[in-house]
Amino acid sequence: MSNSVLSAQLHHLEKGTSLTQDAFARLRKNKMAMTGFFILLFIIAISLLTPWIAPYSYEEQNLDLGASPPSAAHWLGTDILGRDQLTRIMYGSRISLMVGFIATAVALTIGVLWGAIAGFVGGHVDAVMMRIVDALYALPFTIFIILLTVIFGSSMLLLFLAIGAVEWLTMARIVRGQVLTIKRQEFVEAAVSMGLSPWRIISRHLIPNVIGTVIIYTTLTIPSVILLESFLSFLGLGIQPPASSWGSLISGGVETMEEYPWLLLFPGLVLTITLFSLNFLGDGLRDALDPRASKD
Amino acid sequence: MTSEKLLSVENLRVLFNTRNGQTVAVENLSFSLEAGKVLGIVGESGSGKSVACYALMGLIPSPPGKIESGRALFHGKDLLTASEAELRHLRGNKIAMIFQDPMTCLNPYMRIADQLIEVLSHHKKMSKKEARAKAIASLIEVGIKDAETRINEYPHQFSGGMRQRVMIAMALLAEPEILIADEPTTALDVTVQAQILALIKGLQKSHNLAVIFITHDLGVAAQMADDIIVMEKGKLVEQGTTETIFKLPTQEYTKALLRAVLTTAKPVASAAKLNEPSLLQVKNIQVGYAMPTGLLLNRKKQFARGVDNVSINIQRGEILGLVGESGSGKSTLGRSIIRLVDAQSGEVLFNGKNLLELSASNLKETRRSIQMIFQDPYASLNPRMTVFDTLAEPLLVHGIATKNTVLDCVNELMDDVGLDRRFIRKYPHEFSGGQRQRIAIARAIALKPQLIVADEPVSALDVTIRAQILALLLKLTQKHNLTMLFISHDMSVVRYLCDRVVVMQKGKLVEEGVTEQLFSAPQQEYTKQLLAAIPTL
Repeated sequence: MSNSVLSAQLHHLEKGTSLTQDAFARLRKNKMAMTGFFILLFIIAISLLTPWIAPYSYEEQNLDLGASPPSAAHWLGTDILGRDQLTRIMYGSRISLMVGFIATAVALTIGVLWGAIAGFVGGHVDAVMMRIVDALYALPFTIFIILLTVIFGSSMLLLFLAIGAVEWLTMARIVRGQVLTIKRQEFVEAAVSMGLSPWRIISRHLIPNVIGTVIIYTTLTIPSVILLESFLSFLGLGIQPPASSWGSLISGGVETMEEYPWLLLFPGLVLTITLFSLNFLGDGLRDALDPRASKD
Repeated sequence: MTSEKLLSVENLRVLFNTRNGQTVAVENLSFSLEAGKVLGIVGESGSGKSVACYALMGLIPSPPGKIESGRALFHGKDLLTASEAELRHLRGNKIAMIFQDPMTCLNPYMRIADQLIEVLSHHKKMSKKEARAKAIASLIEVGIKDAETRINEYPHQFSGGMRQRVMIAMALLAEPEILIADEPTTALDVTVQAQILALIKGLQKSHNLAVIFITHDLGVAAQMADDIIVMEKGKLVEQGTTETIFKLPTQEYTKALLRAVLTTAKPVASAAKLNEPSLLQVKNIQVGYAMPTGLLLNRKKQFARGVDNVSINIQRGEILGLVGESGSGKSTLGRSIIRLVDAQSGEVLFNGKNLLELSASNLKETRRSIQMIFQDPYASLNPRMTVFDTLAEPLLVHGIATKNTVLDCVNELMDDVGLDRRFIRKYPHEFSGGQRQRIAIARAIALKPQLIVADEPVSALDVTIRAQILALLLKLTQKHNLTMLFISHDMSVVRYLCDRVVVMQKGKLVEEGVTEQLFSAPQQEYTKQLLAAIPTL
């Protein structure tokens, strides 16, 4: 009998509500968080569909037109080279969001595993692992990333790795702290006394119980990663033209702020809306997952 | 009964708005309190006994709580409609309260002196010097030695019992007419509990206080109260004088509560054969807690003694009780046997093998034969795993069941511990405390262990549930021929369940003996104290 037969046998029984389902039921009632969630969904959908729905090509120049304010042909105006601003923001969202999600995923994977192992094993292993984190923390991260881009040249892959490598440190610390409190709980002791392997205890008993905190922190990491990419692109270290990201668009916009304010305004607006949505969603998740919030 | 009614509560109804709709916490409760009398309110958790009293003090958080109807007349004034300012004047001044956990009720950052003086200067407008003298006098009255110097200490420098004494002193400072005591001794050790109860009783007499004594423990209520009301699920079940409640209970629920008080000895002796070799022998074990000193990796370890040179024997098939108060090292000893904490020296021989010398891989096999049941059923189950996953995990990991047979095994376990098979897809938070403890017991017996270490498995449970769980443990030990090390602070539970008893105090073994002998003729002074402290009906 395979797993599926077993689950078929279990299927007719009344299903319990897991804590996660409970939390999402609560989240659905939070209007701000749900608004944030749908705006985010909309932005992600647009960015995925960009190659098919973008009104122009992102490198198509129209030097005769030059920088033009919003019009019927170009809803958000054009930049100095006559490229359509809406198209560039749409393409930019692909890169910004991709950096946001991939770099966060990198940070998440390393950070959660690192923190959980350090916290659970404890002792010298914990001491050494956390001193490594401390040492990396002490490195000035901008210089670290600049150094990497100087050595390896700027590529997308490097950008993901570099940002991920910086962001996992906080995640590791948070997860370790959580694991330290959870591993003192009796259900972990029960798992130890049942003779389960350390890996099984970490993966089945510890990590599922820190996932709430991790989700919350993730929604806060994504915006900070997007900002970090914007910042690096702003410095000219991230995305190279003609490709665009929100950061590089804003950086371009700043240079011509006085003559052509719409070049700064629109990418800035889109970035702000995205960050707000993520933060509202993060706040909502925190309230939904915090057991103390369930009282009211 | 001609004495004056100090407080009369009529038709009190308290609601709580929760996400799942309204719950009635207190339904149509009426009672009255006479001056100089002690009223015991008895009930299990969730019976609304505390909520009712908090409502009187205006301490129900609102929202979600709501006092829907009722009156509570105190000197002709309705407490339920009183303004916040009026209530502030009454609280602490006319009606004082003491709580279960004295640590959370004292401000840890303030000296005792300042906390006591604050009460006096607030309610009595005394000068600082007067207030200090009065505070010291009241500390002496509640039996705190060296009150002059100790008044300058912080709450954490006092033991649990001493803190409760400070709380009582603080409650009585403003010379209230009514004292509401909400489970004041539940968090304390039995011998300390006996002292505090005697203290409250003495002060009640000398100050002619009216006391509302909230407790889940019928023994304590019998000892303290003149009148008793029994509550269940927010409703008043029965009220009367203490004597009628205990001698002639009329309601089924009251009778069930009384039955749950364990006054009897163990119904059936276990099949322990004393001439057989021991299943478990603990020899001269020393367990300490490391207190790291020094920096980073070259830390030197110093040890605080948890268990000091203790030896015990458990025969196959017997239930050995391990009794002691908090800090006696009984839990540490239990945990060191299954190596949840490391012992510094000594031997733990299980079937002749020294567990303390086993390598990690051999340990896995042995752990299968020794299982543990924990105190807190809310903490001992993984909140993110269904009952099925919780019970199936050990079976699959140890290869006792395959994917084909695991469902049958889990169902059998559910039957064994008296839970409905239909519940196996539910999560722990959907069960009550007693049901969760059943799940924990099912997990412990899943591996068909030879020895179970049960660490206070019933002390977090309500009395009626406790009786059920104890009966279940007894049934299972007989059915599966289990040997059990039963750790408890509760002498009456031990008497009901155990064949032999070991008494520990401050990490050392004090006395051991066959249960009935130890209870009828204790040899050591400490054992006598423990036995004397059991509240009796």
